[in-house]
Amino acid sequence: MAQIFPKWINKFPILIVLAVVVFFCSVTGFVWYFFSPWYTDVGYQPVQPVEYSHKVHAGQLGIDCRYCHNYIEVSPHANIPPTQTCMNCHKIVKAESEKLQPVRDSWISGNPIEWIRIHKLPDYAYFDHSAHLEAGVGCFTCHGNVAGMERVTQVKPLSMSWCLDCHRNPVDYLRPIDEITNMGWKKPGDQTEFALKVINKKGINPPTTCSGCHR
Amino acid sequence: MGKKENKYWRSLGQLNNSPEYRKQLLKEHRTENSDDPNKFSRRNFLSIMGASIALAGLAGCRRPVEKIVPYVRQPEEIIPGVPEYYATTMPLGNSAYGVVVESHEGRPTKIEGNPKHPSSHGATNLFMQAAILNLYDPDRSDSVRFKGDKKKIDDFQKFWKEQLEKFDKNKGEGLVVFSESFSSPTMERLKAEFHKKFPRATWVAYEPINDGNLLAAIKNLTGKSLRPNYYYDKADIIVSLDADFLQTESESLSAAQGFVAGRKISSSDDKMNRLYVVESGYSITGAMADHRMKLKSSEIGGLLWALIEQLKARGININVSKPEIKSDFNSQWLSALVDDLMEAQGKSLIIVGRNQPTIVHELALTVNNALNNLNKTVGFLEDKESILPQKLSMPKLSRADTMVILGGDPVYNTPVSYDFQKILASTKNTIHLSEYYDETSQLCGWHIPRAHFLESWGDARAVDGTLSVIQPLIAPLFNGVSDVEFMSLTNSGESKTGYELVRESWSKIIKGDFEKGWRLTLHDGILRGSASEFTKSNLNIKKYSKPRETLYNVDAATNIEIVFQPSLLYDGRFANNGWLQELPEPITKLVWDNAALISVKTAGKYNLENGDIIKLVISEIEMEIPAWVIPGIADNSIHLPLGYGRKKVGRIADNVGFNTYKLFGGPDKMFFSGAVTLTKTARKYKMANTQDHNRMEGRAIFREASLDEYKKNPEFAREMVEHPPLKSIYHDYDYSEGYQWGMVIDLNACIGCGVCTIACQSENNVPIVGKVQVGKGREMHWMRNDRYFRGDENNPEIVIMPVPCQQCENAPCEEVCPVAATSHDKEGLNTMTYNRCIGTRYCSNNCPYKVRRFNFFNYTKELPEVMKMLQNPYVTVRSRGVMEKCTFCLQRIVRSKRTAKHEGRKVHDGELLTACQQACPTDAIKFGNIIEPESTVARKKSTDRNYELLAELNIRPRNSYLARVRNINEKLKRDTYRNDGH
Repeated sequence: MAQIFPKWINKFPILIVLAVVVFFCSVTGFVWYFFSPWYTDVGYQPVQPVEYSHKVHAGQLGIDCRYCHNYIEVSPHANIPPTQTCMNCHKIVKAESEKLQPVRDSWISGNPIEWIRIHKLPDYAYFDHSAHLEAGVGCFTCHGNVAGMERVTQVKPLSMSWCLDCHRNPVDYLRPIDEITNMGWKKPGDQTEFALKVINKKGINPPTTCSGCHR
Repeated sequence: MGKKENKYWRSLGQLNNSPEYRKQLLKEHRTENSDDPNKFSRRNFLSIMGASIALAGLAGCRRPVEKIVPYVRQPEEIIPGVPEYYATTMPLGNSAYGVVVESHEGRPTKIEGNPKHPSSHGATNLFMQAAILNLYDPDRSDSVRFKGDKKKIDDFQKFWKEQLEKFDKNKGEGLVVFSESFSSPTMERLKAEFHKKFPRATWVAYEPINDGNLLAAIKNLTGKSLRPNYYYDKADIIVSLDADFLQTESESLSAAQGFVAGRKISSSDDKMNRLYVVESGYSITGAMADHRMKLKSSEIGGLLWALIEQLKARGININVSKPEIKSDFNSQWLSALVDDLMEAQGKSLIIVGRNQPTIVHELALTVNNALNNLNKTVGFLEDKESILPQKLSMPKLSRADTMVILGGDPVYNTPVSYDFQKILASTKNTIHLSEYYDETSQLCGWHIPRAHFLESWGDARAVDGTLSVIQPLIAPLFNGVSDVEFMSLTNSGESKTGYELVRESWSKIIKGDFEKGWRLTLHDGILRGSASEFTKSNLNIKKYSKPRETLYNVDAATNIEIVFQPSLLYDGRFANNGWLQELPEPITKLVWDNAALISVKTAGKYNLENGDIIKLVISEIEMEIPAWVIPGIADNSIHLPLGYGRKKVGRIADNVGFNTYKLFGGPDKMFFSGAVTLTKTARKYKMANTQDHNRMEGRAIFREASLDEYKKNPEFAREMVEHPPLKSIYHDYDYSEGYQWGMVIDLNACIGCGVCTIACQSENNVPIVGKVQVGKGREMHWMRNDRYFRGDENNPEIVIMPVPCQQCENAPCEEVCPVAATSHDKEGLNTMTYNRCIGTRYCSNNCPYKVRRFNFFNYTKELPEVMKMLQNPYVTVRSRGVMEKCTFCLQRIVRSKRTAKHEGRKVHDGELLTACQQACPTDAIKFGNIIEPESTVARKKSTDRNYELLAELNIRPRNSYLARVRNINEKLKRDTYRNDGH
């Protein structure tokens, strides 16, 4: 009697096992990446009510971040500037610009501009900008090169494991206080030495227990 | 088990080991019926919605768009994310309490005491803490109404101008202003203006709970309008006759501070004052007493007389003639008291409760005078600019043509005999300024919404004369009109802003540069140097000959008497405040209800059990109210808390409890005896009571000793429990560096008032859950006050113990959490990570202190929008299915650490206060770094009275207690406090 199944059928069990392994690996990999903030959050780039360009203001004109986000060193929140801050210059500079119409409207009517939030932590995580600046974490570290962005986008996942990467090993992420807003700062050769000195001097001890951020 | 009378017990059920008690004991979290009975059930919902949720699920994956809305023109002083603090004043009757209010971007969230203010000294009482909830109460009236229809304030103004034309002509004939009492320079100025403009008009002030009897007594004896000021800290012997000076009397906050100042001991060599209390109810003052005698309110005058007789026999010159009275009081008790009083002349203090008649107050003042206490422990201050409550003249009121009611709720809180409804009905025009569209408003023609004190300009004078400004923290949320604005409108028909009015008055008050003085006053919260001079000399107590009333001497012990007492809702004005409704009453532990409080013997006499509805009849007026047995109340005395049973206030207040004003005889008759009949009905009423919740059975929990025992054995507290050496199977974590937070609660200073609970609730966004849920043991308070009785059920002592999370270093809760939602941090805190919690409740099961609370429902989700403004933005709002507990105010720790770090220093000792600590009137709670030897908390922990709760379990709690010491008079025999378990 002839064989019903050809011989190559014998490879099936192995193939099935392989297929299952590949399938589960790809599902895991899929979830791992596509369900993580690296996929869901990084790259978020909503259209803002005013076409404000950080590239022009912070990049080309070289305005310091803290001209607009002025309370960042004293408050947990990085404040979004009031319309007043825009008008400081734009009363004179480009006072007729069409793009600035919403800003002028806001200034005249008293209704605030409703910006769309990009960097968002969950409500149960309490982040403090002032503490991080105090320690010497630069804007660039979490927000990327904002000074090069026409429209701001999220470049880091802001996930808990990402936070912990730095909290567990702050040495790589500290910089001198006067370089905080410098988008082009490069780590010097003696980074470790410098960072350890700062850590000792300021008593930097980033919390890795839950109560550091959750309360 | 020790001797029965030596044990601590929480309820009669526990003492007698009743079946109901045993049943409750078995179930800690009663899980039966986890659905809210009033709502569409969760299970129904899921079964119906399951399919649509599955379909809708995918669409829900999108990231929600969140807006950031900055200011257009940013106020200079506001930094988003950094709270601001403003000083203002909370007026309550003739009292004024200086407060400092925390505000987040213009949104007030928390009230603290103003350390510079003489009535608060930085602490708070229940009403001050809870007042912030009233600000955001969505049930407040939001518009002017005329006969129920919504109108505008302009409509009222138009109407009033027409009226004024008439009153301008007839000099105010038929015009009556019916107000609450005030101590406010601006109100007094407006009142003077009113009288000047309308000489024929009448102004009456009414408060259902007031000091009228006491003030009348002082006036009778001195001939002047003076207010008393007691110096508790200077008294060695304090005798309280029916005076709950620690909680319900006027100025209880500074009284508690003074009292405890004379009582705090740091070692066994220190002296402490001794408190004798004679009272008919059981108050927290009675619980603090070193010796307490229960006696009907109607017999207290008699007891005072017996005391006078004994003092006279010892040669004290008291010039009063003897009325016919019985005096078969406990002579041993009295003579021991008299011995003490004789020894402490000039250093003793006799105070009489506001519910006692004028005659008793007069006698007590005479005794204070004879014992040389005047100007030493009792001072008098001139009463300036106060609108004091008066005795009402009803015929005068009923002749009114137009009645302006400034606040208050007379239809609800005046005695039935006044028949205020009828007066309103016969008055042509009635106008009511009120926070709520309440019982009175609904019967008045016009209703004007009243602004909260945090929304209005005003001013107030504290009891010692200190002036302060009331400054608003927020514009009126419900279109409210402030008292001064409304009064000015009443006078002139023109509207002026409160700011203008107050500044107008203050232009005469502030000396020197006005703007500078004004700004300084607003900053400090008080006008510097405005306290009255203590009128020391030329105080002449008139020779006192004959009692004019004999109210106290006719009563037989077997007569039933009824005593009215203010409740946690005060006179009912805080009835729509959920925090106060849900705070277990310190002694009864009842929530969301009031009851007729009776003694064990009275209950036996009428065969009553807790919750049996009784019918009380007084001269044909009857009311029904459930009975609740409180061991230690005077026999045949029935105590009726006021302020409940509202009908038309709001969602919280309405139909909660029983309106005892039905039997109320007026502020000068807070109790009466005879002519009361009590009958038991066959019905029962279910009440929610927390007295048996969260037990820690059979252990030496509350530890106390008499002063003598303490002197003999200063280590008594620690020696009460013997245990083998404490060794853990886990590796010990090293807690020797950085900040290590710990707390000490001094049970000798704690008066058990419950302010800590409300302060915690306000700071930490703790929800209220309602009567039904509390009945199931699901109250959410992070800080609870355990009340224990000790001794004989007919005359027990009471002790109260605040219990927050003890923050164990070896926390049993952490070991059993399957998802590591509760874990330890480096600073020794046992922390909760809400977003990790899956709600197994294992932690709560394993907690020996029962301090963990579970969100059985999403209590905060359905909060009205306006109430969300109340939440502290630095504390996570918890949702359903999550466990929560005290965090030692982690948000405050973080804030202090951040400030310190910015300034390049460590957190100072005493800089960081937890919410409970900051609110505590007697500074009983200390918090700080325990490894810093010089910190207050470390020093307290090293004293001999320090003990840790359940230390024998080797869980190493970071919180500890200082054992209580009672200053027992050796002549009065008393059982020793032994280690006998509870």
